[in-house]
Amino acid sequence: MPSIRIDPDRTPADGLAAVVALRRLADLMEDAEVERAMRSGWSWPQVAEALGVTRQAVHKKHAQRLIAAGVDLRRR
Amino acid sequence: MVTRLAPDSRTLFPTAESEARSRRSPVVEAEHLLLALTAQSDSDAARLLASVGLTHADVVTALDREFETSLAAAGVDATVSGLTPSTPDAPRHLRLGASFKAAMTRSVTAAAGSPRIRPEHLLLGILGAEVGTVPRALRLAGVDQAELATLTEQAIGP
Repeated sequence: MPSIRIDPDRTPADGLAAVVALRRLADLMEDAEVERAMRSGWSWPQVAEALGVTRQAVHKKHAQRLIAAGVDLRRR
Repeated sequence: MVTRLAPDSRTLFPTAESEARSRRSPVVEAEHLLLALTAQSDSDAARLLASVGLTHADVVTALDREFETSLAAAGVDATVSGLTPSTPDAPRHLRLGASFKAAMTRSVTAAAGSPRIRPEHLLLGILGAEVGTVPRALRLAGVDQAELATLTEQAIGP
């Protein structure tokens, strides 16, 4: 596996843009991974604990989307 | 300010919001307004952008490259096409981001002498950004931002 190495010669512009891009990557990954977990039968409390957020927060952010996607969320 | 928007400027806002949604952004930023401008048919701003090689597809490519290049600076080797897809969020009103608001403020200033804020003024507002996603994407697309701004000013006229 290639190691993650932050370019030591990066300009401030590159460094700041990297922060923006990493935040976006994290958001995109969260959407995909929460969906994957819920499709595999994880519960809201499990997903919340894995993400280090409250159950309410993860539910508020993803429930509507997953219901629309047809994921069976009953009794979770 | 809303009342000063020309009709063909006003229609750009819902388009910018759907561009943001289709790029999976929870916030509408300046780049989404730029995408909306390129998608507008029969507009001077869209023609101007296309003349420097910025069609809608070109801007999408440039933004994806900007994302990948910026991740690379943090040592992350990821491609937009390699990301795991997920179901998009249900349509709802998105927040306006800082770069969008800054572009709007500059557009209002640019349109100070005009009765209406036209799409060209919005383009000029977007091009006024010195740093951030749009300037970086334009550079990666090989577009001279200052020159494009001059062309836009000329299109607006005195």
